[in-house]
Amino acid sequence: MFNGLYIHFPVLAVMVLFLGAFLVVIFGTHAKNLRRVIAITAATISFALIYALIKPVMLDGEVISYWMGNWEPISGYALGIGYEIDGLNLFFALLVEATILLSGLYSLRYMERDDYLDRYYTLYLMLSGAVLGLVLTGDLFNMFVMIEIMTFAAVALTAFRNWTAGALEASFKYLVVGSAGSSFVLAGTILIYAQCHTLNMAQISSMLCGSQGLTPTTLLAFGLLFTGYGVKSYIVPFHPTAADAYTAAPTSVSMLFSGMVNKAGVYAMIRMAYVIFQAMGIPAVQTLLVLIGTVTMFVGVTMALAQHDFKRLLAFHSISQIGYVITAIGLGTALGLTSGLFHAMNHTLFKGLLFLCAGAVLYSTGTTSLDKLGGLSKKMPKTTILFLIGAFSISGLPPFNGFASKWMIYQSTYAKAMETNNIGFAFVTIVALVVSVMTLASFIKVTQSVFFGQVTPAAANAKEVPFAMRLPMWIMAIACVLGGVFYDKVLVWLLNPAASAALNVTNYIDKMMGDGYAATAGVQNIEAHGATLSFWNPVMWLILFVVVFFAVGLVVVFGKGTRGKVLEESEGQEIEAKYDSFFGGEKALPSHLGGSDLFWGFKHNWKGYFHFMQRMHSGVVNDYALWAVVGGAFVILYTFVFLR
Amino acid sequence: MMLANYCVSIFLIVLGLYAVANKHNMIKIVLGMGIVDYGVNLLIVSIGFGPGGTAPLFVISELMKGAYFVDPVPQALTLTSIVIGACVDAMALSLVIKIYRKYHTIDSTEVRRLNG
Repeated sequence: MFNGLYIHFPVLAVMVLFLGAFLVVIFGTHAKNLRRVIAITAATISFALIYALIKPVMLDGEVISYWMGNWEPISGYALGIGYEIDGLNLFFALLVEATILLSGLYSLRYMERDDYLDRYYTLYLMLSGAVLGLVLTGDLFNMFVMIEIMTFAAVALTAFRNWTAGALEASFKYLVVGSAGSSFVLAGTILIYAQCHTLNMAQISSMLCGSQGLTPTTLLAFGLLFTGYGVKSYIVPFHPTAADAYTAAPTSVSMLFSGMVNKAGVYAMIRMAYVIFQAMGIPAVQTLLVLIGTVTMFVGVTMALAQHDFKRLLAFHSISQIGYVITAIGLGTALGLTSGLFHAMNHTLFKGLLFLCAGAVLYSTGTTSLDKLGGLSKKMPKTTILFLIGAFSISGLPPFNGFASKWMIYQSTYAKAMETNNIGFAFVTIVALVVSVMTLASFIKVTQSVFFGQVTPAAANAKEVPFAMRLPMWIMAIACVLGGVFYDKVLVWLLNPAASAALNVTNYIDKMMGDGYAATAGVQNIEAHGATLSFWNPVMWLILFVVVFFAVGLVVVFGKGTRGKVLEESEGQEIEAKYDSFFGGEKALPSHLGGSDLFWGFKHNWKGYFHFMQRMHSGVVNDYALWAVVGGAFVILYTFVFLR
Repeated sequence: MMLANYCVSIFLIVLGLYAVANKHNMIKIVLGMGIVDYGVNLLIVSIGFGPGGTAPLFVISELMKGAYFVDPVPQALTLTSIVIGACVDAMALSLVIKIYRKYHTIDSTEVRRLNG
């Protein structure tokens, strides 16, 4: 019916979001319901347009090329701005659209107590449009512009609740470090232009192939772009501002950040390393990405263990999970790339779910401090179940999607170690396993101190959140379970097309610049050794876990006992609700432990490390800027030493 | 001549980053961000410039073979980049004003409620 019409869908999807942003400004200032209708309509239309592309691009393997204003290339030189949608783009666009729509639905009720909501919806649509434009575009400078719009909208949204503690300083830090990252991207882009005299990614890719790609100019450009996109995906050492921003932003915005803003950075890194520079065959680049990814996942999870705020803890977990993704895509194998993409998708789902649970807790209790909360399972049983699904997914327990992708990542790192006889990659596998265990530990801590145990005064008046807020949470929870059970379907429908698109550079160039263009330029596809996938069959585990899960859930939600009783605060007596269930300390002198302090022994043994890390995350914007500059200098130096 | 441009642009970028990383006054941090922008803009214009080239303003009939003009694309990019840089500065300064009202200081070492 719509034969051939779908090539216009990507650009329309981006335009609808920006148009919605302007319409909200014009018509939505006083009309409370109209602005909601405009925002949700724009998000839904955009969602439908992108999801309609699954069939042609993912299943039929087409590559859509679209030249703005029909400025097609003349004699092999790209003139206009082009959109090019292959499996890799579309995969990330699908994640972005799902995040946009679910966050929009959630914010309808979640944000209703705030004022100036016309600004909120405008910025929300601007952020959405910018991220979608970033992942769909085929033009390097257009990508920079979209990154800048994204940064602006993200900074403004971080400061949206500027009466909360830290919102303003978080947004200032984000702006300083983020604009340093943007400057790196711009400098890298222009150096590529100096070398190639074009900004179209397909054409650049055809010019930078082989040994002619490695001039000093392009090496510097590689280092600068790597740093710039690294800042946008919040890998270590560019991560501290992200933790602040996730904490201070309204929760629906934190979900946008962790669901799509850092995925946009990851997408840009994949596109740059795999397609534009075709550098993933070089062992030094693989080592760099795997090294940074491993450090990121370890630092993220250890910092998360030390947190006492629900959202800040989730923020550090978000950083840690991006470390998994970067490690996996850095392996340069088909299996590694597939598992990295799978984990990126799962991270969008379960971290979005967890952030929305934190938002639900904030909505009904007014605080996210782990030291004040407790016993919410009695007050908010449905949110508790949703949170447990998210926590099981992120910790990698078998029936859920986090298990499937983490299992693939262990396999791919180990396969890489076997293939290259390099013990370092086996070490990465071990670190990934240890980090997964620490993730589980940290979520046990959160579950105990927020949802189980005695009801604290802060949680005494909590009520279950409205259905409109639980709906997006349920959608993501169901997706978490389905993604884990039907991983093979996800693999065939989404991941394999996306990964093979990233590896099939010649097709990317030919579809944009005309058939045979890549062959003339001498581009060859990246040699990626696909290892055979051997999964654990998770169905038996699913049954076991469902039984255990329901047994535990029944006891937790409907069990009688002292739990759920509100403790009265009496004068002169410290309330001890949080310090009831666990004991620690010397054998002769047991002392009560709060749920948020479960792993005090671990923290005590590693106190040197924890003290050092907490001192490093000083909260001073100069330090974070210095981290970013030193990180950038390291990457550029590494590039020049090992890639020449 | 062009070498001087490149040297100055790199110098400006490094100077700006130094200011961002070392100055504790938030206004100076914003100025540092501005200086990085100027450095990058100078780099862009220098890349598009060719010695002896004319301005790239032609109508179709005027454009002869052998016409030599500077590359117009980097100039367009610079304009975009300048506009973006101005927006960054405006936004950062407005945040500084808000921070001053809330914290009663613009010393970045004292604005660190979110840490650890």
